[in-house]
Formats: sequence, structure tokens, C-alpha cells
Amino acid sequence: MTKRLLALTVNGRMREDAVAANLLLLDYLRGTAGLTGTKQGCDGGECGACTVLIDGQPRLACITLAAACEGRVVETIESLAIEGRMSRLQQAFHEKLGTQCGFCTPGMIMAAEALLRRNPRPTDADIREALSGNLCRCTGYVKIIESVHAAAGG
Amino acid sequence: MNDVSRATAGGPARDAPAIAQGRTAGQRTPLIDGVEKVTGRARYTADLPTGETLVGRILRSPIAHGVIRRIDAAAARSIPGVRAVITGEDFAAPYGVIPIARNEWPLARGKVRHRGEPVAAVAAIDEASVEAALAAIVLDIEPLPAYFSAAAARAANAVQLHENKPGNIEREVDQAFGDVDAGFAAADLVRERTFHYAEVAHGQIELNAAVATYEPERDRLTTHSVTQVPYYLHLTLARCLGMDSSQIRVVKPFVGGGFGHRVEPLNFELVTAALARAAGGTVKTELSREDGFLTHRGRPETDIRLKLGMKKSGAITAVDCEIVQRGGAYGGYGLVTILYAGALLHALYKVPAVRYRGYRVYTNTPPCGAMRGHGAVDARHAFESLLDIMAGELGLDPFAARRANLIVPPYRTLNDLQVNSYGIPDCLDWVERASGWKTRRGKLPRGRGLGLACSHYVSGSAKPVHWSGEPHAVINLKLDFDGGITILTGAADIGQGSSTLLAQVVAEVLSVPLARIRVIAADSALTPKDNGSYSSRVSFMVGNAAIRAAQEMKRVLVTAAAKRLEVHPEDIEWNGDHCRVAGTDRTLDFAGAVDAALVDTGTLTVKGSWSTPPETQGGKFRGAAVGSTAGFSYAAQVVEVVVDEDTGAVAVERVWVAHDCGFAINPLAVEGQVQGAVWMGMGQALSEETQYHEGLPLRPNMLDYRVPTIVESPPIEVKLVESRDPLGPFGAKEASEGALHSFAPALANAICDAIGIRLTDLPASPDRVLEAIQARKRRERLRASIGVSAQPDPERH
Amino acid sequence: MERMPQFDLRRPASIAEAAALLAAEPGARLLAGGTDLLPKMRRGIERPPVLVDLGAVRDISRIDYADAGLALGAGVTLSQLAMDGRIVHHHRAIAEAARSVAGPGHRSAATIGGNLCLDTRCVFYNQSEWWRATNHYCLKLGGDVCHVAPQGSHCHAAFCGDLAPALLVLGASVELCASRGARVIPLSDLYRDDGVAHLTLEPDEVLVRVLVPARSPALVSGYRKARARGAIDFPLAGVACAVVARNGVLAELKVALTGTNSRPILLTGTEALVGRVIDEATLSALGKLVQKQASPMRTTVTQSNYRRQVAAALAQRLVCELAGYEPSAARASMS
Repeated sequence: MTKRLLALTVNGRMREDAVAANLLLLDYLRGTAGLTGTKQGCDGGECGACTVLIDGQPRLACITLAAACEGRVVETIESLAIEGRMSRLQQAFHEKLGTQCGFCTPGMIMAAEALLRRNPRPTDADIREALSGNLCRCTGYVKIIESVHAAAGG
Repeated sequence: MNDVSRATAGGPARDAPAIAQGRTAGQRTPLIDGVEKVTGRARYTADLPTGETLVGRILRSPIAHGVIRRIDAAAARSIPGVRAVITGEDFAAPYGVIPIARNEWPLARGKVRHRGEPVAAVAAIDEASVEAALAAIVLDIEPLPAYFSAAAARAANAVQLHENKPGNIEREVDQAFGDVDAGFAAADLVRERTFHYAEVAHGQIELNAAVATYEPERDRLTTHSVTQVPYYLHLTLARCLGMDSSQIRVVKPFVGGGFGHRVEPLNFELVTAALARAAGGTVKTELSREDGFLTHRGRPETDIRLKLGMKKSGAITAVDCEIVQRGGAYGGYGLVTILYAGALLHALYKVPAVRYRGYRVYTNTPPCGAMRGHGAVDARHAFESLLDIMAGELGLDPFAARRANLIVPPYRTLNDLQVNSYGIPDCLDWVERASGWKTRRGKLPRGRGLGLACSHYVSGSAKPVHWSGEPHAVINLKLDFDGGITILTGAADIGQGSSTLLAQVVAEVLSVPLARIRVIAADSALTPKDNGSYSSRVSFMVGNAAIRAAQEMKRVLVTAAAKRLEVHPEDIEWNGDHCRVAGTDRTLDFAGAVDAALVDTGTLTVKGSWSTPPETQGGKFRGAAVGSTAGFSYAAQVVEVVVDEDTGAVAVERVWVAHDCGFAINPLAVEGQVQGAVWMGMGQALSEETQYHEGLPLRPNMLDYRVPTIVESPPIEVKLVESRDPLGPFGAKEASEGALHSFAPALANAICDAIGIRLTDLPASPDRVLEAIQARKRRERLRASIGVSAQPDPERH
Repeated sequence: MERMPQFDLRRPASIAEAAALLAAEPGARLLAGGTDLLPKMRRGIERPPVLVDLGAVRDISRIDYADAGLALGAGVTLSQLAMDGRIVHHHRAIAEAARSVAGPGHRSAATIGGNLCLDTRCVFYNQSEWWRATNHYCLKLGGDVCHVAPQGSHCHAAFCGDLAPALLVLGASVELCASRGARVIPLSDLYRDDGVAHLTLEPDEVLVRVLVPARSPALVSGYRKARARGAIDFPLAGVACAVVARNGVLAELKVALTGTNSRPILLTGTEALVGRVIDEATLSALGKLVQKQASPMRTTVTQSNYRRQVAAALAQRLVCELAGYEPSAARASMS
């Protein structure tokens, strides 16, 4: 199968990679780009663990074609820490125990990142809605909600 | 030999319990590996860089029960790019986590016993070659009658799944303690009910994966896997591959949850290793979510018949219970599950007489196993539900019914379980107050209700699966020229925070900051053996070993410091970063103490170990080991629900839970564990269930296996009760499971309070709730039509 | 899980080009948000030789307001619909339906066109290739038996899109483009009662716009969805209503259902309720209409009878809410 050249921005870097048409964004990020922070937890679109931002919107990398991201801006969990300093959300998830096993955490934090960018002071209901597509099996979500509030300065 | 003095290093036989000063133990402490998790740097098995790697994949049986006539893999082997094709014949021995129930082959041999059972496996250079090879394998399986329910498998003429198990009964339990008949005769009220529980699954978010590297030149195998039990995996790899265990290394990377799915070696781990050996290289197998449901090992479908006798005071006089579990195709932990169900059924309370009969049944469904709250969750729902029903009939408040049956420690239960600490009274008081029970219950609008239940769980099984006479836990500590303290532990942190807890414990004993400590966990080449992360054993057992190891290190450091300062060790006031000669200004900093300790000996390595005292290891009767533990945790919770009588939807508004964890070494983590446990109980109680269509899982995905989302998940307010167990590390007990069991019965009791309907089946999904509401309407209409005057529905209690 | 099947990916710059590609490539499929198609491809349910990705087509993601009504480009995402202030205010059913879909990660990708063209679903169909092969496939794909109703010769897979009922009660139509020309049809004509082939769309037609006519300001609408969880799930039953009520009397009533039949259905017979006072009797009549026309089969893991009953309960409740009617303490009977 022929490959096509894909040009996009991943975590602030312009990239050009030859990709097969059927390559999923998830596999592109984890395999081609070596960004294994984005996780796969289901067989397609059911758990939210692979949530990344495309042009600032939360999207599921496991049901997105890499080739469809031509010219787009993709952000993953690896992009949030700036100069080695964790972002406010990362700091809060760490300190408030918004993460236990950590497997849903990258997707959860990216979904929360999308929320805080458009709504810096979310209510409980806003947080629940923004994270409603992200399953966590460890925390019961209580400390995840606390973490997002903490990151928002609440 | 269970002699504690022989098994305990660096301390007297029964040293006084260590008391935490609270510098690190008792402090809310973020996970020491939390930064990796929130930054995406944590490497789970599927994330590991592996160099040149073959793709491994498993072929599964489409037949639920049948005799394997032939597996023809010749064509598959000849496909370009294929490096190995293996079947059951490539393994040396069957496996099973319980030594007396090893009846499963990594790839089926002779027979297949459930749809989805692995029958062959391929390693190839890429996905396309793997798929071509799997498609080219010819299976010739002669079908046999298959049984998808316990009742069908137990029927008189049913074909046996396993040759040595007539009636398809894996394990039958028949236990009686005390005079049961006299107990019922003495009761003021006797009631009997039946209950039904759907099968549920762990649903850990990380998909199963394993990476194995075989070095033909050395006949050595290295396996990285998602396991909770690296040691059992190590033993099983050696057994099934016919290898010397010294040639095997097992490493546990970051693990994305377990909840019991991974507390026994699983077929894909063994298959990946066998593929690597056959191919002479590295093989990585990544399983799908569907594969997880086919591998299963969850909580079995269960039927319970329970009879209780009660005095007017609420005091229980007798318990009679029968439990049937649909165990699936293989043994796994099955016999432990059916024993746990009986052992923990009544031991929460002071009960004078108990009869228990249990049946673990083989069926042609994926094998069940251990799941958080192992064995005791469904039985707790039945017990706490019937307790509420009878309290209602006797006009007792649910709190009064529980308080009429409390234990006073130290206490030995009927089935020889040792209770040394018992925080239930405080738990009850707190949830009663926090929920506003006295002022609110009975005064809420229709559709809104409050329910109470209690529960308990073990802090590690006092008899490990492989009873070798070794200590229950061993910790190594290393201290070198750099002044860094490295904890070497086999304990598998799977997200529960065990590595953090061990670091806190060691820092506390040595009075050093947490930053001085590193944890290396679960690499068989580096770390001492550990039985693994199951039955909530790590905090208690490994925590105790860590205290002893740190005490030993402290003794060495104090001795060295005393020598350097030319005083007696008793004169040294140890304060971690500095020590001082008592009553003087003479001090030595930590680096100086380390320098002193290394003189003549070099790198310092010390060991600490711990064994459960004999009196906590259970009685003498058959099956007595299961349920025995050195310390029980306790919990009480009140659940507030709103029931929509038009749609059957049950909304959990709030939960108040008090958990007796003995002592919270890391209150932040304990809260998280308790919230997670309560919430997992909620999933089982409200929406989660597996379901089969002729043995095929109908819900093998995260859409239809309905793990609750954040939207319907309630606030969970946690109170930590600290009963300071005399044997626990700093008094600590387990915190990860005990609060799970009481959610479902508290919910059922709350639903009954809200709408007067007693649900005896789980989950309380909207269709079941609505069906129960309509069944009541039908009963009411029938009563009205035959002229019975309006009376309270007898279901309401 | 199988790996993604291979296919050729085309990225046309215009609808005309997309339609031409569909006409030229038999079996080609349109790809918009991909939230329905890609999970099915991952399960080997769909193996199209060519995917025509609409991601590079301009001007299909616009929301236009005019006196004649609302025009929604097929590429408008569900998150756009859920957050658009005017839609939330004037066409609440659309916003509520969009907001009820899956989770934010889906909604920012999924489009209104894709949601209207969502494939029907069944627990015997939305499974892996291994699963379906082991179960000897089914009427909808590759087999000759419907496991839901083995005696019959009809596929009962259920339409589960949330947007369709909301648009049906608002009288929407859809604009379809093919290389030979365009046509506008009522949305209800986009569907037929066949679980295998529930769309009347021709293979080379592209749904490009959804047109919602301007309505009386007195018309209020809403969407309610029965599901086991508060998010992610498809509807066990979804109900949209559009109501004009004056002084407690129904002046206009439209009700549509999803999740219960192989097509979204606009309830017939609601005109008989127009002019009636909203009371228990009217609600009971409405419930009966819903129960009669909803025909859920065992296509989900939740019992079909429940889905029928809950559809009726939601319809009754939603009409009460929209009309500002407080049901009596003795609840609206559901049976």
C-alpha cells in the first residue's frame, strides 16, 4: 500500500512523515513519533484514554486517521510540561491523587486541559461533562474532580 | 514452621508495635511515581522500547466445549514472515494458581472448554503475516454439549468438563459451627431469602500485554508483563516452559490497574514467552479489550439462599447459607472464592451458629477468578439485606440491628478467625452522624432514601497460595556511599500506591526525608521475592517487613555513629539527618553516619521480613486457611439514592463511608483507595454485568460493559477510623477492598427506603428496577381485585 | 482485534469532487468525523476499498440563519451544535440531542451529517470479526440468520442516532448532492424500515445540508435519552418533542423516537391529541401511541420491553416539561 506524506504540528514541532492511509493517529503518535504517553484502553472510541487535542479540541486518537490530521495542530500529554515544569493540571493531579494507576491519566488531563482553556473556572457539572467520555477504574472520580478544581485555582 | 522468632529478622520474636512519630507515616503523600503518570513518562508494558520485535497473536476456539482432534499449523508455518507457531503441545505442564487445581494449559490441549480459549499462537514479523498465519491454521474440534449456567452443568446427565470432577463440581464446601438448629429455635424471627448476582469483570483500563525476550545462546528468558503477581508468573513460566527458574527474569513495569484480573498467571503471558523461545527472539503480544473479557477471571455469577435467626434485640442467633457460583471453565482461584464467601459471611459480627454450603461449578464460560473483594461481595449484599429486612419487621433501626451484634476484640470468630482490632462501632457512629440519619431517615420525600451496610476484609491471606515456610514478606534495603537509601521489594505497585507506602515507612523509621529514598520494585533479578499484590496484603505484610528492615538499618547506623563518636549506642539520639550524643552538643550528620557504617563492610544491605503469627493463620478444619488474616479492616457506609419510578433509574446522590484502616500511613492514598472501592461496588450494584450468548460474551467492550462514567458518580465522603491494630505496621490494616462490599447492600437498603421495594438481584439496572416496580403494581392490583384491604406491601422492609 | 483494513484515502476539496469519487469508486465510503465508521473498520465490519475524507472540503461546517430558517452544513460538529447559543435558545431539541452524544472527544469530531447517516446497531453486529464468525455472522452482515428474531427474514438492527428525532420534530429536510444533481427531501424520507439498508441515500449521494424551517416562537422542543450511564452510551430509547401549548391545551405536538426501530420515527397520531387539555388522560394516550409505534427488539443488552416503556415515560415527561404542566402526585401511568 502506498504511503502519503503527512505534514502536521505535534507538540509544537512541525513534522513530516510518510504514513499509510490506514494508520490511526494513536499508532502514529505512539509508534512513529514515539510519544507513548497517549494510551489505548479499548477497541475503539469507548474509554477516552487516547484523548489528545487537535486544533485545541479534545479528540480520540484511536478513531482518528493520522492522514486526516494534515495541517492540524496535535497536542499530547507530553506537551504540557514547559521547561520541565509540570502544568497546573499535572501538578494538581499529582498532588491531589487524581491519578492512581495512571493509565487513564493522560487522556483525562488532556480532556481537562481542553475544558480549562475555554472555561477557566468550571463548576462540578462543567467538569463532569468535560470528562464524561474518559473512564477511570481506580479513583471513583472524586479526586479527579478535586484535581481539576485545584488546577483552576478553586 | 510458623515460629515467628525464626522468621523475623532483626528484632525480637514479638517486638512492641512500631509507633509512628508522624514525620512521614501519617502524612498525606502524593505517589512517589505520580510525576511519571501525569507527564506521560510512565512506561507501561505496551510502551516499552523493545528493539527488533515480533508480533505475537493468539488464535481462539470458536467452540464452547469439544475434543481437539487436530490442529494443523503446517500451512501457517510456511507463510513468509512467520517465525513461530505453537500449540498446547509446546508446553511442558498445565498451570493454575492453586497448586492442587492446575488444570489449564496456556494453549488448549485435548479439549477446549470455553469459546475464546486460546488454542494456538503465532509470532511473525508484522501484523499482516500474523493475520495470514492465524487464518491458515486449521482447527478440527469435535463439539460436546456445552453448559453456560451452573444449573445446566450440574444436571444429572451433563458431560464432565474435567475428568476428575463429577457433577462438574469444582469444590463443595460443607461447614457448620455451633448449634445451628438450637440457634434458630432460640430466635424470635427467622427469615429466608434468595438472591442472584450477575457476573462482573475487573475492567482495568490498561489492556493486557506482555513482552518476552529469549536468548537462545544462554537459554534465558526475560518477561515484562502487566502482572500483579510477578513471583507466581515466574514459577509458572518455569513450570509451563520446562525451564529452570534461575534462567527466567520477570519484570513488572508500570501497571494500569489490576483489581484481581492479574493476580494469577494468565495464558497470554505464558504464550508470549513460549513464542519468544520458539522464535528465538523478542515477542510482544498486545491484547484487545475483547480478549480481556475472554481471559476474564472476574466475579462469578452467584446464587445465594440465606436464612437468619434473630432475637427481638436484633442479636443474630443463627446463620444458614447456601452459595452456588458459576466458576467458568478452569480452576484458577475458584476454590478460594467459594471458601471466602463462607468464611467472611458472618465473621463481621458476633454470631453463635453458622452452617454454610458452597458449590463452585465448572461451566463452559471464561474462567472466573479473584476480583476486588474476593468471594465476599455478593454474600455481604445478601447478609446485610436480610439484616435490614428483619430489623424492619422487628421495628429496629438498621443501626440498632448492627450494634446488637458487635464484636469486642480480641475475639475469635466461630470459624477461628482472629480479630485483634475492630473499628465498626466508630464507623457506625460517624456515618450515622455525617449522613444525618437520625433526623432525615423516614422523613425524606418519596423516591429518596438512605441505606446502611457494614463490611470487612482481610489484610492479606495468612496462608499464602504457595506455602513454603518462608516469611510472608521480605524487604531489602541498600545504603551506599551516596547516602541514598534504596528499597528493593518484589511488591507490585499497580496504582494502589504500595511503593509510596513502603518509602514512607522506611523514611519514618529512619527519620529521613522521603527524598532520600528510592524504590526498586518487582524485578526478579534485583528484588526479593514477593507473593504479589492481592488480598490486600502489601501494606500489612510488606509494610511490617519494611519497618523491620528500616529498624535494622537504623541499628547499624546508630552503632556506627556511636563508634565514630566514641559513645555507647544507647547514648545516641537518632534524628535522621543528624544524630547527637544525648545531653551534649556533639553531633554527626547523616553522611558521617553512613561513612562510619561503611567502614570495613562497604555497601550496606539489610533485610527485614515478617510472618503472620500462628494464631492468626486460621483453624484446623478443611478450608480454614481461607479468610484467615492478621488484621481485618472494617467499614460502614450510608448511601443516599433517588429512584425515578417512571424510568427505573437509580441515582446515587451521596455516599458517607467510614473505613477502619487501623492507621492511615498515607491518608491521601487511603482515601483514594476507599473512594475507588466504594465506587467499584457502585458499578457492580448499578450497571455492570457480563452476559453470554451461547458462551460468547455479549458485552466484551466498554460500551456494553458499563463501567460508571464521571457523570453518575457521586461525591464520596470518607472518614478514616484508626483502631491501631496490634500487629499492623504502625497499627495499619488494609484499605483497598473492605469498603467495596458494603456499597451494594447499602444501595439496596436505600432503594427500599426510597420506594419500598426490596431488590434481591444485582445489578439494580433501570430495567430490573422498573420491572420490580411494575411487579408491585400488579400485586397491588391483584390484591385490590380480590378485595384485600390496602396493607403495606410485604416487600417493604 | 483485527488491524485496520487497508484502503485508499482520497481527500477531495469540494462536495462535487467527493460525489464524483463516490460515483467512480464502487464501495467507496464517506469519512466525516469517523466516530461510527472507524470503530466498525477496526472490528472488520466495514472494509471499504476507498475512503473519501471530507476533512478538506470547505464550507460544509457553517451554521446559517435566515428568515426561512436554519441551514446546517453536514460538517457541523455536534459540539458546535451543543454550544451554539441560538440553537440552544431556539432549537433546544437539537442542542440537547447533540450534547447527549457519547463524550466531548466524540462530539468535537462527529458531524451532523454523520450522525444522521449513522449505521444501525445490534449486539450481534457491533462485535469483532472473530466474534461474528464464531456466531456464524448475521442477516445484516455475511450471514443468513437474524439472531434477534431467528424465525424471521428481517434485520432488526436499531437506528441509534440522537439528532434525527430532534430534527424530525422540527420538520427538517436534507439536501443531497450527487454528480448528476442535487435534491432536497424531508428528513423522514432519508430512512426506511430495514436494519440492513435503512438509508435511502444513493451510493454516490452526499448529504450536504440540513434545513430546519423557521417556526412559531411559541414552539418549544427538547430531547430526552434513556441510557444506563450518564454519558458515552447510545440511546436505549431517545425521544424528541416539539410542542406549542396555550393555556394548558396542546396547540401543536410532534414526537419522534430513536433507538427503538430500524429508523427514527416521527410518531403518527399525535394530531389527535392536538386541541386536548394536557392532563393524565392525554398523557396516557400519548404513552399508548409511543408504546404502539416503538418496536424495540433484542438488539441491545437491555431488555426490549424496557426500552418501549421508558420511551413512553420520557415522552410523557418531556411534553409536561415543555408545556409547563405539573403531573399529579399520582404519577402518569406508564402502562
